[in-house]
Amino acid sequence: MSQKREITISPTTRIEGHGKVTITLDEFGNVSDAHFYATEIRGFDYFLRGMEAERLPFIISRICGVCSTAHILASVKAIENIYGTEITETARKLRELLLIGQIISNHSLVFFFLTLPDFWFSPEENPSKRNIFQIMREKPEIGKEAIELRSFGTQILDVIGKREVHVVSVIPGGLINPLKEKERERLLKMAENACRITKEALTIGKELFEKNWADFKKAGDYRTYYMALTTDGAIELYDGKICVVNPDGEILSEFTSNDYMEYVEEKRYEWTYAKFAYLKALGWPKGIVQVGPTARMNVNKRVTTEFANKELEEFKRKFGSPAYATLLFDYARLIDLMYACERVKELLDDESLTQADTRVKVKPKGGVGIGVVEAPRGTLAHEYVLTKNGLLKNMKLIIPTQVNNAAINLNVKDAAMEFIRQGEIKPGLLNRIEMVIRAYDPCIKCATRQVDENLRVEIRNSKGELLRTLGLG
Amino acid sequence: MKVSVISLTCCAGCVSSFLNAGDALLEILSQDFEIVYSPTFVDLKEIPEVDLAIVEGGVRTFGDEEVIREVRAKSRILVALGICATHGGITSLGNLTSIKKLLEKEYSLSVSSKLPELEDLMYPICSFVDVDYYIPGCPPMPFLIVHSLKRIVSGKTPIRHQSVVCTECHRKIIPAKLDSLYGIYEKEANPETCLVSQGFVCLGSLTRDGCGAPCPRAGFTCFGCRGPADSLLYRSRDIYAFLVKVISKRTSIPEEKVKEELYRNPFIFHTFIFSRFERFKARERVI
Repeated sequence: MSQKREITISPTTRIEGHGKVTITLDEFGNVSDAHFYATEIRGFDYFLRGMEAERLPFIISRICGVCSTAHILASVKAIENIYGTEITETARKLRELLLIGQIISNHSLVFFFLTLPDFWFSPEENPSKRNIFQIMREKPEIGKEAIELRSFGTQILDVIGKREVHVVSVIPGGLINPLKEKERERLLKMAENACRITKEALTIGKELFEKNWADFKKAGDYRTYYMALTTDGAIELYDGKICVVNPDGEILSEFTSNDYMEYVEEKRYEWTYAKFAYLKALGWPKGIVQVGPTARMNVNKRVTTEFANKELEEFKRKFGSPAYATLLFDYARLIDLMYACERVKELLDDESLTQADTRVKVKPKGGVGIGVVEAPRGTLAHEYVLTKNGLLKNMKLIIPTQVNNAAINLNVKDAAMEFIRQGEIKPGLLNRIEMVIRAYDPCIKCATRQVDENLRVEIRNSKGELLRTLGLG
Repeated sequence: MKVSVISLTCCAGCVSSFLNAGDALLEILSQDFEIVYSPTFVDLKEIPEVDLAIVEGGVRTFGDEEVIREVRAKSRILVALGICATHGGITSLGNLTSIKKLLEKEYSLSVSSKLPELEDLMYPICSFVDVDYYIPGCPPMPFLIVHSLKRIVSGKTPIRHQSVVCTECHRKIIPAKLDSLYGIYEKEANPETCLVSQGFVCLGSLTRDGCGAPCPRAGFTCFGCRGPADSLLYRSRDIYAFLVKVISKRTSIPEEKVKEELYRNPFIFHTFIFSRFERFKARERVI
């Protein structure tokens, strides 16, 4: 009998954080298992215990420098949920702008810097060339537009949040600083240009996508549940209800953020530092659910802005609703971006945005609270338990990458099985595996910030049979 | 110049900040600055020999340690970018507790040993390798990163910032008469006067400048992400006693009472106290 073998891809490239893939082959050289896993951990929710609530939002943003603003917003929402604070309409709009700024800076980075090289170059291209810097050398105007669009997102964060990464102006009760009229006008001017660049990106993206669609369709096509925030069937980022649709696109449940932890549960495996989240009612693995750009398209029927809505209609016409193919994440991300840019214009067009009432006084108290926002990578939830002295007793964070973790692993195994048969590895394996991972834009930084004492570790043998369960609570 | 960009245990905010430099980023990329290795942007799996390595993040696992040693051996100049790389940063808060033990309980019982083992503490990279330049910040501002890198690319030493954040802050220091200190959410700050003299615990008077004081300018206290200023890097200087003096002087609250209030909030110093920066060794290399 020949030996079992293991193939390792490390580090996975053009994604955020430290990832690794291992593929286990059985004695016949066929894939017996494949895992995408996280190799770093920091322990945020453990060492933050005892922290005063007022310092939490700003320290918790250090979970992820890529989507720090989304974490800060979820965090202040959770604290306000405990305090019973109602923020002003002006503050709500400014926070939505910040979240959109985050989505623009993230999505422009992911599209141009991380995934575009996959569409741009043929899979046979020398890997050392398959990156944005090479595209910039060949076509400098693309690099210029990429940076310009990202700069627009970071300008929003800088002007309203007062720092580009880890913003400081958002506090429980609203925002410290109102928006000045000059700032509003300046951002509004930039918004025009951002809309133009996004339309061009959509044209480039769609063209490359159609060219490669036959191949892309093969790379993962799963019927799962989908979850996103929604307001009256339209894409929503900061507020709204959480909606889950089943693989046929029918609404399974719709609930408010307060009930989030009743619907979503998490589990862990011993081979990765990142946990897996799933729908509690359906159990594991039936309740595998996806969040993020495609989920936003699948859960919602419409977008409230004109151009993005047209794009969504076209998307649904072409790929159905729900759309399943994994690589559609990259396409849907561009529709997100379009909505984001149009919505910024809409918000900034409103002169009342510069009103001075951005802050209300908070009355600290203890209790449990949840904050949910739609982060670039999908629905993000923070739950805190505060003592009556306002110190953190416990926290539970469910992060988009944890939700998508299961689907990512399914995709990786599938790709491995397609490319490896009887010990023979077809060329293109590495590229395909990394492309499906990249589509999810996983953020390992986010998914691995925590440890949790009340968890169960499952030990399985190579057949996947459960040997032992260790509870550490 | 061949450049590698490395991420150890961190939040990736420092490289994000570098990418936020806009036109200045385009300018540096068009110069003699070729990023040949970066797991975030480039599909190369092996760490290559380079002229310049930019490292964000600190050492939390033995995996990190292996990487940083290899990077050092293969790089002519090594820059530690951001507070995690220079001081250990926010993850060092885990050094307060026996987090390693807890994590071991969770992971090392497992059948697979595919995950890298944890170090006992979160370390800055200078605990393992020589560092040529330190650019602290959480994250350092884009202009600071780009200016420093530009100087390095053209063979010069980056411009050092040796003073404190107060020198870059517009607020006027007007000593006040207060009874107690305040949290930033407890009252609205006057936009013109020093936050400390209003009773907020702002660390600007201890913290290295070079950031442009964005936080106190926005009405948020400085939290010390640039690390101690030059004058506080002498062994004889007690950072804590110094802060107590500053607060007491600007608020007229007796030193004893200031101490009491600060004790209740140990997290105030997270970037200073809980990090293991070799603070007496490398002053002239901190940018």
